[in-house]
Amino acid sequence: MPKENTPKLVCFSCKFGWGYLNRNGCEKKVKSLIPVTCSGKLDTITIIRAFQAGADGVIILGCPEGECHFQDGNYQARNRVLLLQRLLGEFGIEPGRLKIKMGLDPMGDTIPDIIDEMSAELIHLGPLSMQAGNPVKADPEGEAKLRRSEAIS
Amino acid sequence: MPPLLSRADRTERVLIGRPAEEMPRIAPNLCGPSRISHNMAAVKALDDLYGVEPPPAARLIRELEFNAVHIEEVSRFFLDIFGSTIAGPDAALPHIPGILGRVGKDIGLKAINVRKKNRRIMIHLFGKASHPEGGLPGGVSRGVVEQDRDWIREAAAESLEFAQFAIERFKDTVLADKTYFNAMMDDADRLRTCSMAMVDERNEAAVLDGLLRIVDPDGKEYAEFSPGDYARYIGEWQESGSAGSFTYVKPLGWKGMTEGQGTSIYCVGALARLNAADAMQTSLARKEADFMIATLGSRPVHRIPANHWARLIGGLQAAERNAIIAADPLLTSKDIRNMNLRLKGRGVGAVESPNGTLFHDYETDERGIITKAKIIGPDRNNAAALGLYIQKIADAFISGTDVKEGFPDRVVKILQLYDPGIFYHLAPGKAPLSVVIRNSRGEVVREINQQPAR
Amino acid sequence: MSSQFPWKNRPAPEKPKTAIYCLKGCGGCDEAIIDLNEAILEVVDKVDVVLWPMEVDSRYEALESLKEGEIALSIIHGAVCDPEDEKAARLLRAKSRLVLAFGACACFGGMTGLEELRSDQGHAARGERTYPLSKAIKVDYALPGCPPAASLVAEAIGAFMDNQLPPRGATLAPGKALCSACPRNRSKPARMEITRFRRIHEIEADDSCFLAQGVLCLGPVIRSGCGEACIRINLPCRGCFGPAEGVDNTGLNFVSGLASLIGAETDEEIKEVLEGIVDLPGYCYRYSSPRAGLEAIQGGKDHAEDRHQTDRQNDHPDRRAREDRTVPRRRR
Repeated sequence: MPKENTPKLVCFSCKFGWGYLNRNGCEKKVKSLIPVTCSGKLDTITIIRAFQAGADGVIILGCPEGECHFQDGNYQARNRVLLLQRLLGEFGIEPGRLKIKMGLDPMGDTIPDIIDEMSAELIHLGPLSMQAGNPVKADPEGEAKLRRSEAIS
Repeated sequence: MPPLLSRADRTERVLIGRPAEEMPRIAPNLCGPSRISHNMAAVKALDDLYGVEPPPAARLIRELEFNAVHIEEVSRFFLDIFGSTIAGPDAALPHIPGILGRVGKDIGLKAINVRKKNRRIMIHLFGKASHPEGGLPGGVSRGVVEQDRDWIREAAAESLEFAQFAIERFKDTVLADKTYFNAMMDDADRLRTCSMAMVDERNEAAVLDGLLRIVDPDGKEYAEFSPGDYARYIGEWQESGSAGSFTYVKPLGWKGMTEGQGTSIYCVGALARLNAADAMQTSLARKEADFMIATLGSRPVHRIPANHWARLIGGLQAAERNAIIAADPLLTSKDIRNMNLRLKGRGVGAVESPNGTLFHDYETDERGIITKAKIIGPDRNNAAALGLYIQKIADAFISGTDVKEGFPDRVVKILQLYDPGIFYHLAPGKAPLSVVIRNSRGEVVREINQQPAR
Repeated sequence: MSSQFPWKNRPAPEKPKTAIYCLKGCGGCDEAIIDLNEAILEVVDKVDVVLWPMEVDSRYEALESLKEGEIALSIIHGAVCDPEDEKAARLLRAKSRLVLAFGACACFGGMTGLEELRSDQGHAARGERTYPLSKAIKVDYALPGCPPAASLVAEAIGAFMDNQLPPRGATLAPGKALCSACPRNRSKPARMEITRFRRIHEIEADDSCFLAQGVLCLGPVIRSGCGEACIRINLPCRGCFGPAEGVDNTGLNFVSGLASLIGAETDEEIKEVLEGIVDLPGYCYRYSSPRAGLEAIQGGKDHAEDRHQTDRQNDHPDRRAREDRTVPRRRR
């Protein structure tokens, strides 16, 4: 399990392009390392769910141009991430907390470095705020305010 | 409940960051009673923003829809559906929409029919009647085909008949009754301010395209300017203790709550449209306007209760115009968009909503995204006149800390003259207003809360 | 509680009480009800309107003297923005048998929620919160739209008057997405490849699908039922009917779909194409809050999984056998 103050990073990695189940000890560094058949399997809903489950950051490792086993699953994933990054602010999530890397590393040797790099950025950003105003998680303070019938404005 | 005054400041904040061409689809949903007018003001502002004039067919289509809005106003006078409370003849000022509203089911159905037909025009051309979606810089999104002409023509004809009926009804029920007529002629409700409204190139009353004209309390033209220059002629004065600011004729300077020659307070609305123009555009409306002016004295008319009458005349003009437009061969032209758009970074649009002049002022970045927005609606334009009016009435009702009975109701009647939609269904004693009297040190010495009965 | 309307098929002992109230809205929904036109006179003949501030002298506090459940139906529109709104909503809920959330503001927050959005240009949210009605009280039925289409209003009122209502919790509008109903559907290419995004003033719209032309249209994720009001005046859908059945969150689902429609391979190409989209949050969340549907997503099954489950059950050989008499039963 990662140490208490390490950022909780969820890493989805394509089994074909990024080390088929070769964990390289990465499981100690991340909240979750989830191999998937294709990065294109990852929906926006799944990514948001990862944040809701406690992730401070999400990184997706997919295949580069022309290398996807499923033809354009990698493009779909990349396009979704790029579009989703523009909506993340509405959920109180900085766009830098979601990344996609398109590359080929069948042995998965570079995964630990990639994780380290992203973790460093997440330390800089800090843990994903649980405060009121973050709609990804419940908004207990906002809801309570409404219920206490105090003047808001 | 939608708030009393426009939430223009909140709206202005919301618009920032949105693409300018979406304004006609966003602004109406945010601004209470003048929804439809906000759509059109936004469209006009976009024309200015992109330095483009719409082709003739687009102009006709926009006017067709906008006139339908003014005609719907006439039907609203009758649609007091539940026959609800009306101030009796002994009230200080008659509640005119309510009087007309007590008309019975047959006429109610007529009013509903006219409303339906005109809203069909709005829906057909602009998508929805409650919040129009249509309108683009340099044109409109949907044209009229020849098959539509018949029902549009029919709608215009029925509207024309109804508007004439409404005015006759007004003369029969309101003017013919001595009590109401005397109340209208009472000097207490005479407010000698400047008037501002839109006029066409012949200085005749217009609602959609034209210049803005300010006339002084004696009816002499003070200024005529295009909407883009409004900031030179309209200033804002923030009175301490007042929630909103007052607009006034800027070059004259703020002179406080004064009326008569030299005042810098102006009003907008149906009466102002009659005062600021030399004449109405269409023949029947012109006749009715002449009759009204003759009945009430002379032009300009400062008897504010006549606002309702002027509104009906405005509706008549709108109906006459639509009858003309419905027969215009250019209406069905396929050329409805001028695509020669050149972004200027700033655009101002003005229209005459039924309650008065409405401005939309946008600034954008190089991509046409709104960076700044300013909206001045008829309620803001009338705020100073309203303040002056209430102050005058207050002088009659209040001395020291003594407040005569019925003051809040009187205030409600005044508000309704400028916007009949406000509290029109409420009986005397029911409007949620309170009166707070402060001494010269600003301390509260008396407070009257007109609580509605439970 | 099946006979909320005892007067059906029997002489009415008294008219059912109805309340119509606006929280924070623009008043367009009141107009939508009056758009029943002549039918409104029939309706008001058959019901006792105890609250409708826009039309009748009434205030919600006056309802405190009523018994619980004495109001047959409360139609509430507008969003919940401050404690006063919540107070009014709770009072109406307590006194009503049924509550209908009417219009986009009551159903999902509506356009007043735009104040909470950050724009693509980096403008921060203003911070004022807007909540749909369901955040304050339990809602029995929802009728979306800005405003709800006249035909749906008439159907809904008719359903209430005749006691022909679907199970509670239903939305009184079709479940399928606008694309299914859209007249431009047929012009959609079999494979869409958007290579350039355009804004509505940059094109002269013809009869074809907006997305195929590169114009953002929320048709794939928005509920149908509006009669394609905007499409018919040659403008794309901006989402006033809210998410269709099966759509958790307008923006998240839309973006997922949109991503698949873009024709771009290299990173440079995709970035250039996406440059053409401005104010993505303002498009996706104009009528519904970004927070809508997030609770359903959190830790739960998404709709696709649910459907898969149901399909598998429906596909069970024993079930098929029962329905198809020619297949002999398997002996166990």
